[in-house]
Amino acid sequence: MKLKLTWLMTLCMALVMNLSFAQEKTVTGTVTSGSDGLPLPGVTVLVKNTTRGQQTDFDGNYSIKVSTGEVLVFTYVGTKKVEKTVGSGNVINVTLEEDTAELEEVVITGYRGATNSAKIASSIATVDAEAIEQVPINSLDQVLQGNAAGVNVATGSGQPGQSATIIIRGRNSISGDFEPLFIIDGVPVDQDNFRSLNQNDIETMSVLKDAAATAIYGNRGAGGVILVTTKKGKKGGGVRVQYRSLYGISENPDAQFDMMNSSQLLTWQRDLLPGTQFGDGLSDAEIAAIANNTNTDWREIFFQQGVTQSHELNITTGTENTSSYTSVNYFEQEGTTFGSSLQRFSGRFNYSGSSADNKFNYNTALTVNFSRSSFIVDAARAGNTGGQLDNAFLVPYIGLPYMSPFNPDGSLNIVGTEISGAFNSDGSFNPNGAAGFLNTPYLALNTVRLADDIESELKSIASISVDYNFAKNLTFGNTIGIDYTNRENFFLQTPESIRGINTPNLASAFRGFQSESFLRNINLINTAFLRYDADITDKLNVNAAVFGEYNYTNTAVDGYNQTGLIPALAGSGSAFIAGDTAEGENGDVFNYIPGVFSTESELALASVFASLDLDYDGKYGLSGTIRRDGTSRFVENRYGTFWSLAGRWNIDNESFMESVDWVSILKARISYGIVGSQSISTLASQRYNATQTVNAGAGYQNNVGYTTGALVDPQVQWEESNQFNVGLSFGFLNNRITGEFDYYINETNELFNSDPRSLAQTGFATVQTNVGTMENRGVDLQVSFDILRKSSTNPWSVRVNANGNYNRNEVTSLPGGPQGVTLRTEEGQPIFSWFDVRWAGVDPANGQPLYLDIDGNITNEFSTANRVYLDKTFDPIYTGGFGADISYKGFTLNTLFSFAADRWRNNGSLAIVEDAGLAGFSNQSVTMLNAWTTPGQVTDIPALSFGGLRAIDGDRYLEDASFLRLRNVTLAYNFSRDVLDKTNFLSGARIFFQGINLITWSKWRGFDPEGNQSGGFFDFPVARQFTIGFDLTF
Amino acid sequence: MKNKFLIILALIAFFGCEEQLDRSPIDALRASTTFQSVGDLENGMFGFIGSYGINTLTGFNSLYSDNTTLGSNNGGQELNALQLILDPDTGDRGLWANRYSHINDINRVLEAAETIEPDPNTPGEVDTYNFILGQARGFRALAHWDLLLYYGLDVTDPSAPGVVYQDFVELNGNPSRLTVGETLAAIQADLDLANEILEGETDKSYITPDFITFLRARIALETGDYDGAIANATAIIDQYPLANQAQYLEMFGGDLNDIEVVWRYDSVQGFNATATFIWHFGGGTLLDADFVKMSSELAGLFQVDDVRFTVNLENEVDIEADSELITKYPPNANQLYINDVKAMRSSEAYLIRAEAHARNGAFDLAAADVESVRDARRAGTITVEPYESTVEAIEDILFERRLELCFEGHRYNDIKRTRDITGEGMSRADADCAPASVNCEIPVDSEKWIFPIPTEELNANPNILPQAPGY
Repeated sequence: MKLKLTWLMTLCMALVMNLSFAQEKTVTGTVTSGSDGLPLPGVTVLVKNTTRGQQTDFDGNYSIKVSTGEVLVFTYVGTKKVEKTVGSGNVINVTLEEDTAELEEVVITGYRGATNSAKIASSIATVDAEAIEQVPINSLDQVLQGNAAGVNVATGSGQPGQSATIIIRGRNSISGDFEPLFIIDGVPVDQDNFRSLNQNDIETMSVLKDAAATAIYGNRGAGGVILVTTKKGKKGGGVRVQYRSLYGISENPDAQFDMMNSSQLLTWQRDLLPGTQFGDGLSDAEIAAIANNTNTDWREIFFQQGVTQSHELNITTGTENTSSYTSVNYFEQEGTTFGSSLQRFSGRFNYSGSSADNKFNYNTALTVNFSRSSFIVDAARAGNTGGQLDNAFLVPYIGLPYMSPFNPDGSLNIVGTEISGAFNSDGSFNPNGAAGFLNTPYLALNTVRLADDIESELKSIASISVDYNFAKNLTFGNTIGIDYTNRENFFLQTPESIRGINTPNLASAFRGFQSESFLRNINLINTAFLRYDADITDKLNVNAAVFGEYNYTNTAVDGYNQTGLIPALAGSGSAFIAGDTAEGENGDVFNYIPGVFSTESELALASVFASLDLDYDGKYGLSGTIRRDGTSRFVENRYGTFWSLAGRWNIDNESFMESVDWVSILKARISYGIVGSQSISTLASQRYNATQTVNAGAGYQNNVGYTTGALVDPQVQWEESNQFNVGLSFGFLNNRITGEFDYYINETNELFNSDPRSLAQTGFATVQTNVGTMENRGVDLQVSFDILRKSSTNPWSVRVNANGNYNRNEVTSLPGGPQGVTLRTEEGQPIFSWFDVRWAGVDPANGQPLYLDIDGNITNEFSTANRVYLDKTFDPIYTGGFGADISYKGFTLNTLFSFAADRWRNNGSLAIVEDAGLAGFSNQSVTMLNAWTTPGQVTDIPALSFGGLRAIDGDRYLEDASFLRLRNVTLAYNFSRDVLDKTNFLSGARIFFQGINLITWSKWRGFDPEGNQSGGFFDFPVARQFTIGFDLTF
Repeated sequence: MKNKFLIILALIAFFGCEEQLDRSPIDALRASTTFQSVGDLENGMFGFIGSYGINTLTGFNSLYSDNTTLGSNNGGQELNALQLILDPDTGDRGLWANRYSHINDINRVLEAAETIEPDPNTPGEVDTYNFILGQARGFRALAHWDLLLYYGLDVTDPSAPGVVYQDFVELNGNPSRLTVGETLAAIQADLDLANEILEGETDKSYITPDFITFLRARIALETGDYDGAIANATAIIDQYPLANQAQYLEMFGGDLNDIEVVWRYDSVQGFNATATFIWHFGGGTLLDADFVKMSSELAGLFQVDDVRFTVNLENEVDIEADSELITKYPPNANQLYINDVKAMRSSEAYLIRAEAHARNGAFDLAAADVESVRDARRAGTITVEPYESTVEAIEDILFERRLELCFEGHRYNDIKRTRDITGEGMSRADADCAPASVNCEIPVDSEKWIFPIPTEELNANPNILPQAPGY
């Protein structure tokens, strides 16, 4: 290959020489920067209309052979292009002036890379490194919250490293995948797992929102695409070493509800609550004695200040033809409750190089990471609902205040007491009682200390891409990439833990449970392209490309579980009791038979596609893409064709605008296209969506039994999203005010959804196929205003920015009737609309619960026939963020607020602590003190004699989960050059203080309104964080 | 040059990848090639027997009746059922879905069996093949009977709307209800065929000719064929004696005696159908693990000398007498909650016959059958005087059925069936009602005595109408 290349280059050069031999001479010169007068390395010096070119060296010098009359073109990122005609002299020195508009407006697009934003006809939002770096939220998707218009980010748990749910421009699928595709350096990666990656390595994130941008990702772009580009180093940039560090604490947000204290609860139990409880029969003095002795606020026991720290060393190098970025990072974060943590080691090595003539380029990006996550039992952990009694976030609600967290000797009690049911009256341990409601706080303390749930993950993303400009205007390129994840889950319930002590059963000689599972996931991608890029005339530029791509995913999970462990060795395989150990009266019970499992599934996608971009004089542009995809998921309708067409008009470049000084940028954009989705399910177990299967499993009498797998429709095909976007990009007053405004209509056809089948006829209620249509329409707006700009006379810089999205969803067709019961999806309504009986408060006459019937009349009878649409949806109508960036001399202050409005979630946690039926073993909200007792009393808590009303609450706990939060405040100081020069080794130093999620305003009565589930049930809230850190550059 | 690259690209991307897109499931069988031999059919049989939800009706009949109330460790479990919520969206405990899914599994085995010829030269293969066919027919009849009894609008009226009798595999289609008479005829046809194929089979863990006789006795009683009920019940009673007190204890304590068992749904370690966890959390003992407990009304009906008092309330060490825990399905000697479901017992045959006699006006014979059961269960000699009226007879039989068959899937249906005589619906005693359960009554004329067709069926299949009245 190398030989061939050399030969090709020789051939090209020979041709050039032949043409220009006679008049040739050598021109030298220095290129300097207009802003500071310093030499500029890495400037491209090109002889116009030829392929001859050079780059300036470290001192800004160049030397090139040219002929008199030829034109030299000097280009450099972020500066205005300069052209000089070669005259009689042999020295041409050039000063490049900064081009602020161009500098900031480079956009990363799909399959093309950095593109001048003026030439973009699609809707793309860019999030730069500054918004991502050194933010102690260790999942890059979470960091997007509030940073880009139309990107709705919701996180389901405060577990460090937790991945968020992202919805771009409204939910566009009912049961298929609706989240965006994430591409890191050309490699599609797992969209739900970023905890192992170091986000300081990210250069930019581009959010591709309309079909014009995403259709080129036809097979998976329907939910939007997020392109992540990591740092590459800069050619000619020399060596730079940076050390970055961060230290901080995390704490739980404040509770927006109040629980009873000992005195309140016991008095209330005695005086008001029917039935038999602990408080019954106690005198005031006895209650006071108990309350004085023990009045536990369980939050204090369960919540902690978690520590975060991060240390990173990165090295960037740049020579004339190569650049590299290398980083190593150690990151550690504790959650806000004991036992929740993440530890991570990550490394990255990116290397780019070019041949001397810049015709051959290659990039490698490699990251290898290891992380270790320790989980607690919380609502978001696989398979959990939040109602698990060992959920640490359940205890602050239901833990009884008159129980002490401590043993008489002052140590933490992690077993329980007789009152809490953990011990019988004779002092013997009661395993059921210990796992019972009264013992909840102790059980939660016990599980987190005597049981482990740990995931160790090795994740590597690697890509190699090359391109070769092998002939005039023609470039061939290829990218090979892999996303590799190896995850080991280790789960242990020690024999002495409350959860382990019953396992396998109370009669077995050995107890305890251990399981491990091993997941190996690979995503492989190979993309090849051929690109033609040429100026057809002076004004018309054509950029066309054809691509071929193959994508393969393989997921394998296997593992075992073992009951019965030797206590002293618990956690090790040496603890396992042999499976053939027989016990029982007759020696015929096998308690320790290990379970083993192994699964594997594959997914393959093959695609060909093409793109065409036409630019006329920088004023008009037309872009089109077309793509044909095949997927292994489908059989009979395997292929889908997707396309887009977009146009732009750069009004600012029109001659009639030349006199309009206050307009710097004005560009109108319009696009339409069809994007596809083949992702019926994100589950690895559901990748064969058109093949009817039969499952083998444990049948009658534990024989092998065959049962029919879920019904399939062999005709199932691609889900299609038809997307229309019209937008305006603007920059006024020398780009002091810039922004983008977009209006879109996205219609999803052939929705992945369950189509009803007659159960009687087929044995199945539904089949997963393509049914119905849905529409999202809305507006994205993002603006930024430089109130003050730094200049030689003004040390201040003040910029405010805001972005927002308004989105309306409507299910436009859904044959087969409504889906869901109280959270419904039905034709003519937005997806996930609340549909329930309206709670109408409490009858002052007798304290009974009241409802509204279907006609809006008050009734005392709960009937599901009275359910109505409440005009409330789970998904927010408005999302966005705003903030200000202020700098004065070396100080900078950055703030970011994020919001989501008009979103409604069911507050199941509060429903538990306002349920008299549970008050025997669950602490209650102080609101329960207002329970109705006397005729005429106006209150919102029914008489306690009506007992638990949770099954007949209707919309009583449907709460407004809108929020506005102060997401990020960073105050930083950059040391001045004077100070740095004195150190003789530092070239940059920055110190910063940062607050995350400092304040949240919401009507939600809980810890955190955010959540990504329609119902809140003892969720692990995202943390409030305070950090301090510094970056030193050598 | 350009063309060459284009061709290479096209080759790589299109033709090279085309075959890469044919991917077969690795961890499951393809339906089209699953059944190749009698052995495969047998696996299908273990599959469909396994998919029969034996506890669905046990759960419904206990939770939706006066036999249960809120347990002391309830954290919201089964509130809908205890609140007596039954509508097309909630409350039928998936009976419609479970039975038709089970029937679909059966039909797929039967369809495959038509293409498989057992080899007469392989010992036992023909017998196995026939056994599978017999089980398939028998379970298909049983499952349709369950559906007819709960969703049929009136099983005593042959012209009333019944249910769909599904006896073939179909991927799409919208069937209508048959009449009750048509449904019953189809059930009997399957039973006839099963009876013929299974002649001589005696394994109580499977469908046997006695199972078929027993089912026919139940059907006859429900459909008003009292002579048929008496004849079929008598055939069972003649073969299966009642367990004495000791045998009864053994029967429910570790499945150690099956003298009066006609059919059981077998539970083994690894495939366990115990009913315990309808009312209790799993884990250790039953104490402190109940989210539903026995109603105090029912607990108060057991005499202390009645073996059923021990079985239902004290069948586990460490249980306090007044805890009202449901202990009919206790742990075995190895502390494992593995219990067969004794779904057909001869005591029920006695009580079927008693009710049929009573409805025929033979009050002495009715009393004698009740006496047989009561005497077997209690200490000393119990006599039941001949009844004076149908009402008295039915009420006493209902009382005895409540004690004998509680937590075995009968209570709600027994009240439903005898409403024509008693004129009463279901109502929980005050003590079992307060404070948690608001709804404690199913009036005698309530729509809730007939299950509504589930919304999921209605959504797909408009032909299934009429919906049960009142929904």
